[in-house]
Parts: sequence; C-alpha cells; structure tokens
Amino acid sequence: MTLTQLVDSLVTTAQVGSLYALMAVGLTLTMAVVKLPNFAHAELITFGAYTALVVSLFVTTNPLFAIGLAFPASALLAWAIHRLVYRPLVRQKSTTYVLILSSFAVGLIVRYTLFLLADRYDLFDKRIQIPLQVLVAIGPLRLTNIFVWVTLSSIILVILLTLLLNFTSLGRQMRALADNDTLARVLGVPVDRVTDLTWVLVGGMAGVAGALWGLYTFVDPLVGWLILLPVFAAAVLGGMRSFAGTILGAYIVAFGENTVMLLLNQTFGLDFSFKPAIPFVIIILVLLIRPQGFGGIGRSATEGGNA
Amino acid sequence: MLSITSLTAGYGKLMILHDVALTVAAGQFAAILGPNGSGKSTLLKSIAGLTTIERGAIEFAGQAIAGRRTETIRGLGLSYVPQRENVFKTMSVRENLRLAVRGLGRPAALLALGECYELFPILRDRQGQRAGSLSGGERQMLAIALGWLARPTLMLLDEPSAGLSPLFVTEVFRTLRTLRDAGITLVVVEQNARSVLRWCDYAYLLRDGQVAFQGEAAELLADEESVKSYLGVKLVRKATLPASSIESFSNPPPPN
Repeated sequence: MTLTQLVDSLVTTAQVGSLYALMAVGLTLTMAVVKLPNFAHAELITFGAYTALVVSLFVTTNPLFAIGLAFPASALLAWAIHRLVYRPLVRQKSTTYVLILSSFAVGLIVRYTLFLLADRYDLFDKRIQIPLQVLVAIGPLRLTNIFVWVTLSSIILVILLTLLLNFTSLGRQMRALADNDTLARVLGVPVDRVTDLTWVLVGGMAGVAGALWGLYTFVDPLVGWLILLPVFAAAVLGGMRSFAGTILGAYIVAFGENTVMLLLNQTFGLDFSFKPAIPFVIIILVLLIRPQGFGGIGRSATEGGNA
Repeated sequence: MLSITSLTAGYGKLMILHDVALTVAAGQFAAILGPNGSGKSTLLKSIAGLTTIERGAIEFAGQAIAGRRTETIRGLGLSYVPQRENVFKTMSVRENLRLAVRGLGRPAALLALGECYELFPILRDRQGQRAGSLSGGERQMLAIALGWLARPTLMLLDEPSAGLSPLFVTEVFRTLRTLRDAGITLVVVEQNARSVLRWCDYAYLLRDGQVAFQGEAAELLADEESVKSYLGVKLVRKATLPASSIESFSNPPPPN
C-alpha cells in the first residue's frame, strides 16, 4: 500500500464520516423526539440530492444555491410525510411496528416516484455540476474544494444543531419531548408544533446531506437507500439516542469502509465489493456486544449522558 | 373553583371512574384518599386531559375543561404534578425550570426563577445537576416547583409523598401548606391518609371509582371509626421509623 493510498483513504474517511454524521444526527433526532426509526430518511436524502442536481443542471452552478435549496425541499417533504402518514397513524395509536412499516412504504413510494421522474428526464448517474479545484496539495495530501464544501458544511450543521438543542427554547422543548412526552404536554409544550419543527429540521438536514453527497459522487434514485445502512450503523454505535456517540459512530463507520477496507484489501486481498458488508458487521457486533452503543460514554445532547 | 359532575372516565374502553361528583372551594387544601385502584390518580389525570372521558363535566374557574388538550390546560392557571416521571431526568434542574417558564420573556423568566429558588432553596444548590440524579425528596420539590411556576390558581398533585421518608413527607406537606396560604387551591391525591389529614382542610374518600365519603379533615381525624371502615386503615398510630429511612436535604445521593 502506498502512502498516497492511505492518505487518500483517510481524506475520504473524514469527508464521508462528516456526511454520515450529518445524516445520522437527523435520524437520531427522529428516534429521540418522534420515537420512530424512520426508514424514509433515505429518501429525504435522495430528494435533497435531486433538488441540488436539478438546480445545478438547470439554474445555477453556484453550490450555495444548490445546497441551500435542498434544505427547504426536503424539509417540506418530511413535513408532508409527517402530516399525511405518521401523524394520522400516531393519532390512531398505531404501534411502532406499524410506523416502521409505513416508513418503509413511504420510502418506496418516494424512491420509485423519483425513478419515474429520473427516467423521464434522463437524470441517472448525474453529478452536481460545480467546477473542481485542488486547494491543497502537500506531498500525498490532496484536498479539493469539494472536500472543503462537504466536510465544512456537514460539521457546521451538526454544530448548529447541537447548539440549537442545548441553548434555545425550541431545543429544550425538543429534548423535553424526547425525555417524556406526557410531562411535556402537562407543562404546556406545544407538542404538535415542536414535532412539526423537528421534521422540518430533520428533513432539511437530510436534504443538505443529500446535496453534499451529490457533490462528492453520483446521484441516482437509490443514493439515500444505499447510504441508509451505514447511517443506521452510526446511529446504532451511538446507542440510537446519543448525539456525541452518533457522530463518533459516523466516523468509525466511514473509517471501516475506507481505511480498514483498504488495509483488508492490501493485506488479505479482500475484494472491494465487500465494502457494503462492513456496516452490517458493525451493526451486528455492536448489538451483540454493546447494545447501548456509546450511549453510556461521554455526555450526549438528547440523553444527557446516562446509559 | 373546581367542580366535577357525573364524571365517567378511564382509559380506552376501560372506565375507572363512575359518576364522580365533587366540588373544591377556592383556597382549600383538599385531599383525595382511597385504597389502591380506587381511581384517585385517574381523577387527576381526567382533569389534566390525560384520560378518555365518556360522560360528565369538569368546570374550572367558570370554564368547561373536560376533554381539552393537555397542553392547553396549564395556560388556564391549572397545573398538574404527576406521581412518577414528573421531571425531565436527562435535563439539568435549571433546564427543567426554564421549560416551565417558557414564553415568559427573559426578564420575567429570571424573576420567576429567583422567586422559585426562594420558595425551594434546595433547587438553587442543585441548578446544574441532572434531574435524574436528584434524591427522591429533591425530585419531588422540583416537580412541585415545575407546577408552581405556571402561577396556578389550582394545583393537582398525585401522591407527592410517595416513596419519601417521613422527614421528607413533612417537608413536602409543609411546602404545600405554604402554597395554600399563598392562595393556591390544592387537590392532593394521597395513599397515606394519616399524614395528609393533619395538613389538609377537606378530604374525599374514593372507593371503586366513586366518592364514598367526604368531610372536613378535622372531623375525619376525629371520626376514626367511619374512616377506618372506608379506608381499612387506622388514622392514629404511632409512627415508628427506622433510622436508615431518614434522608436529609443536605446529603446528595451517591453518584450512580
């Protein structure tokens, strides 16, 4: 293995890990506040990626616009799904199983609608158009403007979300809902409004994550679905409720998929097609050995650091 | 202040309360007593909008509130303090309190918190601590403070003394009396008839989802026999408490 390969894999780990973190904190927030492992989170990501792609192909190549518009687009989709599907089901006192199944169904509907549209307008395997520039080239280290866009945007959004949760009234209300929704109602927290806003935030962040993913690689109607597994692996590593744990989990999964995969390939000749299996292995190992993930280590935003 | 007429309520299809009627006068410290499963907690939950109401009316300060959404009730000046799970365990004491003064605006909120710390001094010392790590008595004080911060005219409390050592029970009831003296009407559900009757003004005995007996606290304390027949307990008995059960406000629980 050359040094360049190793450094490249670490750069990819940083970039993909940041994206996974951005996607996984949204998923964690949904699980904590709305108590739903939302499998349609994948399609919120895909929808954001397609919004950014369409903007970049037909409107402007300024990445700020492409990324910026992905937020409201996916936010609106998330909110609509909540109002049309999840909220009516919750009001009927449906079980979590029903909700999970419905999230699969919603995901499929959105995914194959996107397939139809992508087919109609020839939008398969397109890349979000922004001119590539190499910003840093020191020895084997090579950083592009795309790396900076993707990594910085993800990290900034995750930090903003953490600040919002910890230091604003809305954040406290969301955490109150995550902690004990009956008590939140009793204390007059407008639960419906806070839930709406949670979906808007979660959807918007997934949309931006999708747009950033589209900067990094190709866009097709399956992107979100294919990323969802590593993202779930990150959330499981974080114990499903801890923010800090989820972020750490995201980088560990990315490291496994890139650097560890490279080492396995170089040392044991393991084929790169094994890469998608790595998140599976991580999920199963974590659930077997430490089901609470990193939940008990380090303080977390939603759980306050208890195991 | 609070008047309930022919209330039948429960959970889903299962009705716990049957045709309950009671009236609480303004400024009173009223206790609701009764054996396990008599519907005491369900009565409070019904007022707080947490049950299915099949029939009947609940009137608070001249407004019909039966069936209102839980989150809108606090704004009317009626606060409910649940028995268990009555604080946000993963949040700090201060964050819990700030949630309770949400929407007041910063100056008013800080003022309210200041008054709250006067009334519940222990909470000032525990501000930064996670509510889940408070002792039972401290947690109960926080729960009562969360209710009090609504500036209610009526407070409903579900077994505020449950699980507390006798020393804390006295502390809790003394705090409730202070609130009553400040003009807040109180409705307190209690398992422990003996201790609450020494502090409250009036009591209702609930049995099988109905009000079976009611009267002034002093009369009930005097009328040992009828209370015993309703509750199956003697009211006056010398309390013997093991030394180990005495906790103190100044001793935090061991870290977990």
